[in-house]
Formats: sequence, structure tokens, C-alpha cells
Amino acid sequence: MKGRFAVSASLTAMAAAVTLAACGGDDGGSGGDADKAPAKQAASALSDKPMDLTFIWFDWPPAKALEELGKEYTKTRPNVTVKVNTVPNPQWHDAIFTQFAARKTNFDLPILDSQNIGEAVDNGSILDLTDFVKENIDTSQYDPYFLAAYGQYPQNTTGKADPDAKTYGLPLLGDTWSMIWRKDLMGDTPPATWEDMIAAAKKCQDENKGMSGLAFHQAGTGDAAAVTYNVMNALYGGELWNQQDKKIDGVINDAAGKKAMDVLVNQMVPLTPKGSSNWFIDEVNAAISQGKVCVGFQWIAAMGGLLDPASSELGKTKEEILDKLAFAPLPKQVTDKKPLGGMGLHVSKYIPAEKQAEALNFIKWFQTPEAQKKWAQLGGVPARNDVLNSPDFLEATPYNKVFTDSVSQLKDFWNLPEYAKLLNVHSTQVNAAISGTQQPEAALDKLAKDEQKILDESGGL
Amino acid sequence: MANTLQTPPQTSAKAERLEAPPAAKRFAFLTDRKLSFLFISPALALLVFLSIWPLLWLLGLSFTDYSATRDTGWGFIGVDNYVEVLTSPVVHARALTTLIFVLGAVGLQTILGFTIAFLISRRVKGRGAITTLFLIPMMLSPIVVGLFWKFMLDVQFGVVNSFLDSLGFGRVEWLTQQRLALFSLVIVDTWQWTPFIMLIALAGLTAVPKYLYEAAEIDRASEWFKFRRITFPLVWPLLLIAIMFRAIEAFRLFDLVYILTGGGPGGTTETLSFNVYKVAFFGFDTGLASAYGILMVIVVTIAAQFYLRYLNRLQEG
Repeated sequence: MKGRFAVSASLTAMAAAVTLAACGGDDGGSGGDADKAPAKQAASALSDKPMDLTFIWFDWPPAKALEELGKEYTKTRPNVTVKVNTVPNPQWHDAIFTQFAARKTNFDLPILDSQNIGEAVDNGSILDLTDFVKENIDTSQYDPYFLAAYGQYPQNTTGKADPDAKTYGLPLLGDTWSMIWRKDLMGDTPPATWEDMIAAAKKCQDENKGMSGLAFHQAGTGDAAAVTYNVMNALYGGELWNQQDKKIDGVINDAAGKKAMDVLVNQMVPLTPKGSSNWFIDEVNAAISQGKVCVGFQWIAAMGGLLDPASSELGKTKEEILDKLAFAPLPKQVTDKKPLGGMGLHVSKYIPAEKQAEALNFIKWFQTPEAQKKWAQLGGVPARNDVLNSPDFLEATPYNKVFTDSVSQLKDFWNLPEYAKLLNVHSTQVNAAISGTQQPEAALDKLAKDEQKILDESGGL
Repeated sequence: MANTLQTPPQTSAKAERLEAPPAAKRFAFLTDRKLSFLFISPALALLVFLSIWPLLWLLGLSFTDYSATRDTGWGFIGVDNYVEVLTSPVVHARALTTLIFVLGAVGLQTILGFTIAFLISRRVKGRGAITTLFLIPMMLSPIVVGLFWKFMLDVQFGVVNSFLDSLGFGRVEWLTQQRLALFSLVIVDTWQWTPFIMLIALAGLTAVPKYLYEAAEIDRASEWFKFRRITFPLVWPLLLIAIMFRAIEAFRLFDLVYILTGGGPGGTTETLSFNVYKVAFFGFDTGLASAYGILMVIVVTIAAQFYLRYLNRLQEG
């Protein structure tokens, strides 16, 4: 027994010693080469050595289009091969940020959601592009909201670009939701208001046995259900938070927020297919393509497959499908706001200077009108005004015009370092309301309370 | 005939000194003790490097507010992380979900596994082939199993619902209705891991001495009597070990939740492991997640200790 005690005591002492050693293991700084090679210097250090320029994104058609676009870049820089590594959408954030945590990345250009910039900047993981942008990019060609949303941090309260704000990225892919409706069943004219849309969808469902009125993102994973609620909240005049006073509780769950949740859960969810509370991008596309729904809502960048006869039951050719489907910006209600989607181009701080230089050169090239036009042809959604309004872009797909028409009405999430935690609460609670696990008002109040707690605990906002 | 009664020599012959060959002399310093240490040291080093050191590191982090991605270093915060985990209503809810899952899944697997093993053990022809077939689910990756069942259980496109619909039962929301979603996780886990229990139960059943049954037959004992008094008592200790392994595995369920339900609907199928993952990677609260992990290890260790003591008593009794 005495011996056992001695062994235990030794182990405890050893554990304590190692624990202290472990606690003392703070590496303090970060950035590796990054701090020594700011963007301005990096831009002038292009190398002629063969190299891969690697992006990381989630697995969807624009990722393939970006790799295809990379071949155009190789024509200008023959020593560079562009690669796009993809992960499933739910692992996208983790795949990038776990590498940031290791202070070493196997990608050069992380494609971050607009809301992730705060977290990446706070961690010191992406390059400050302020000087590079000032010297190399004609920012007048962009809607100021895009520059603020996809690149600046802290994001301006108004959502507009702040000329004094620091820039950490530039737009890669613009995006918003499009309404897709069955014009063969509902007529050619899109509903004027959101409530008209719900009524039309219900009528279509009642008149067409086996069909459901609506399909939209409801899953509790990623930002699926969260964006859906944000759309509703914005349309009914609600706000996500009061950025000035750092208040969420009492703002998101005010009368407008509650009305939005009520419409979502009590009027829209009953019109969706049974068991669709875990639906995201692929399921909504499948339901529309298989002719199971009258009206669907989808990110424009994810709609490419809807016109593919190989995966559609709506027609044997693209023309036949287009005889049945039509596309329009979201109907307005109290406001005409639309959700901002898309992502920005950023540069990892944890890569060698020559790679940073090449990444910046790619960004510079990518923002040229020629590259942007090619991007649009490949299925990307560009962000430059001149390209967005060009016939090349507007006529490339039947839904590109939806994005151009929506640009001035876009509205984003909060862009804070605590975004991932806030999103987790947001998606979980909205999904709880949608799936009937919680009463809508109780879910909204819990969401507001929990998010306020995260915001309060975050300190130095 | 040889004289075997010779008088033993009065003075013992001088013991011959054993000389090691020249090559072995060079390694004379290698005593048995040193040699054994040398043999186990690579494995020990690997164990320390891969298991013990990370565990101690985790323990150290659990007393700090460290975040793996933030650039702000760490601060010692005592047991704050432990208090936060233990007092969190979310953790309590996830613990309840995990407990329901463990009891449901392991209970069902034990009943089914033992029943199948019992039936197989009584059938001599094709026993090997049947056993191999039953083992297939266990050999598949849980991610593959999850994806496979996700497609099967989908309300709109899944084969299970198509079948139910064709029989007139209507479509069931296996993965999107609160109670059914957890039940579906139990079913899928049971499908995959029942063979594990079956395999161990089968080993126990085949090891029961035949003479016990023969003696019982001489006494004209009924089948039920033989099962109750011979089969079950002899297999039960082995089965308890299988149950312990399965319970520990089920307690840290992550992959099936991640693939099948994503923790939904509304977070109601989130297990403790899934919740730790969220704490660790949504916002990177590394210190808090470390404390959470340590607490889970403690719970499993204590539960296993009680269980093993019971098992020892059972075997001694």
C-alpha cells in the first residue's frame, strides 16, 4: 500500500511539473515570416521558381471554376500552377482555422466567408493588404459595401467601406439568394411582396398534388438556417444587433424579429416538403430539379446545376427547363434587403515571402476586367461594377441579372472574431424553431440571450 | 554391475568458474534488468510521446484561458473552466442525451448480440460463414456507415421511406424529428456494433464445458434451466467486459452524429463529444475544451473502476 502511495505521489508530482511546463509553453508571437514580409514588400518579390499557388475553399462548382480560371493565370505566370483544395462545406471553417492554429498552412490563399475576417485578423493569420490595395487596385470599380464586407475589419457600422479602415481581402465571389419559381405553374410575373410569394406558393401547392410550396435552407449546420432567418428578419425591418451599443438581446428579438420568426415558422415551414428541416444547398437544388417544389431560394453561385438536363426532371434540354423555371430577386416586404453571400480573397501570413508575393500578384491579376469577365464565363459571380453591368455577364446565365439588381440591397451578418460561436447559437436555435423542437418565440429569445452572453464575454469589441 | 554405493568425496571439487565468451564480455554491463528496460523503452517512449504527454499538456491547458488561434497568449484561471463546464445547462442537456444514447444503444446491442450468438452457437452447419456475414458492419468506417444510412433514411429520397410509403405507412422523419433522430442514431449504432457483442458472446458460449450440459441432461433439466443455470452465468462475465468496451465507445460518439444529424434538430442529438468539438473548434476555446475533455476522461475512468470492481466481485463469487 505504501509503495502504491509512493507511485501515486510520484505520478502526481510529475503531472504537476509537466503541467507547469505545459502552461509555460506559450509561443507568444505568431506570424512566422509574415511580420517580416508585409504585403507591400511581398508584392515586389516575385520568383521564377516553379510553384503551386494553393487555395482552400469548400466543395462546390465555383471551386472548380476557380481552378479552371487558374489556367488563365498560368498563361501570364508560366512557373505557377493554381490548385484549389476543397473540403465539405461544414468543415470549411475548421479546415482553415485549425491550420491557422498550427501557425503553418498548406494553402496560400484561404477563401474566407465575409464574417470570418474578424476572427482571422484577431488571430493575426492573414496579411494586411491595405497598402497593397491602395497602390494596386482601382477600388472605385467596386460597390463600397463589397469592399467593406469582403475585406475590411473592423467593418464599418454603416456597412459601407471606410476609407480609413484596414483592408485584409478583396472580393472573390459576389453572391446573394435568388428566387426560383415554376413559371409554368405560377405565371411569368414574380410575386411583388414576400407575403404575396407565400400566398402564391400555397396556391401552387394546393393546385398541384404531390408538390410542396417552398424549398429553402433550414439545416442547423453551417449558416443554412441562420441565413434564412436573417433574410426574414431583414425583410420585416429587423436588425441582427446594435453595433454601436453592442446589443443583441432586445434588438434581434424585438417586434420585427418576432414577426419574422412567426412568418418563417408558421407560414413558410408548413409549405416545405416533409422532413426538410435538415436541407441545405444540395437538397434545395434536388427538390427544384425533380419538380417537387413551386418556389425555391438558393445562392446564385450554387445554382449552376439547375439548368443541367442530366440532373433535372424538368426538361431534356436547357431550353425546356427554362420554359418551366424563372429567376428573380427576393420579393420585398417592409424592406427590400437581400442576404450577402460570397467570399473574399485573402493571403495566409504563414507562408514564405515568395508565395505571398505570388498570391498578391494573383489578386492583382484577378481584379482586372479581363480576368473578371473570364471568371463570369466560368460560372463565377464577379464583383466589379463594370463587369456586373456588362452584357457579357448579364447574358451569361438567366440569373446573373438577379445579382446585379440586388447589389445595392445586400446585407451581411456580424463580422466579429466571435462569429463562429454566434453562428452556432444562431443556426441551432433557428433550426430548433423550424423543426418544432422549440416554440418560435422561445427560440428567438434564447438565441438573443445566448448571443448577448457571447458578445459580453468577448471583452474588447 | 556398477558399484553405486561409493563414498562421496570429503572435499568438494572446486566449482568451475564460468567464463563468458569474449564477445559477450563487452556487454557485461547489460544486466537482465537493464536489458528489459532497453527492450521496452522504444514502446514506452512512443506511449509517452503520443498518449501521456498530450494528456498532461491537455491537463495544463485546462487551467488556462488559452485559445489555439488567438494571438494573445494564455492566462492561468484556476478551475474556472471546470466550473463553467460543470454548471453549463448546455452540458447538462448534452450529458442527458449521451446517457440516453449509451443506455439505448448498448442495451439493444447486448440483447441482440447475445441472442444472435446464442442462436448461432446452437447451429453447427455454416456457423463460420454466418458469423463472418454478421461481422461485416463492424468492419466498415463509421463515416461510411453514417453516409450510407443518411441516404437510406432521408424522408424524400430514402429507400426506407419509399418502402414504408409503398406499404401505406407514410413517410417517417427519421433524422429531423426530435425523438426519432436520437432513436435513429441508436438504430444505426446498433446495426454497426451488435456484431461486436455477438462475437464476444459467441466466444463465451463456445467455451462453456459440454459436460455441464451432459450432466444436466442426465438430470432431465429443461432447456430454460440449462440456459439460466449454466449458459448465462458462465457467459455473463465475458459479456460484461464487452458491454464496458461498448459503453466507453458509445459515450464518446461523434462520427455518426456529425454525419447523420449534425446535432439537430435544434441541437437535440448533440452528444458530449460533439459538444466538445464545437467548443474546441467554433471560436477555439482551447482551455475550456481541454477541461471538458479531462472531465469526460474522469467520468469514464470512475465509471469503469466501479464496473471493474463489480466484475471482479462477480468472478470471485
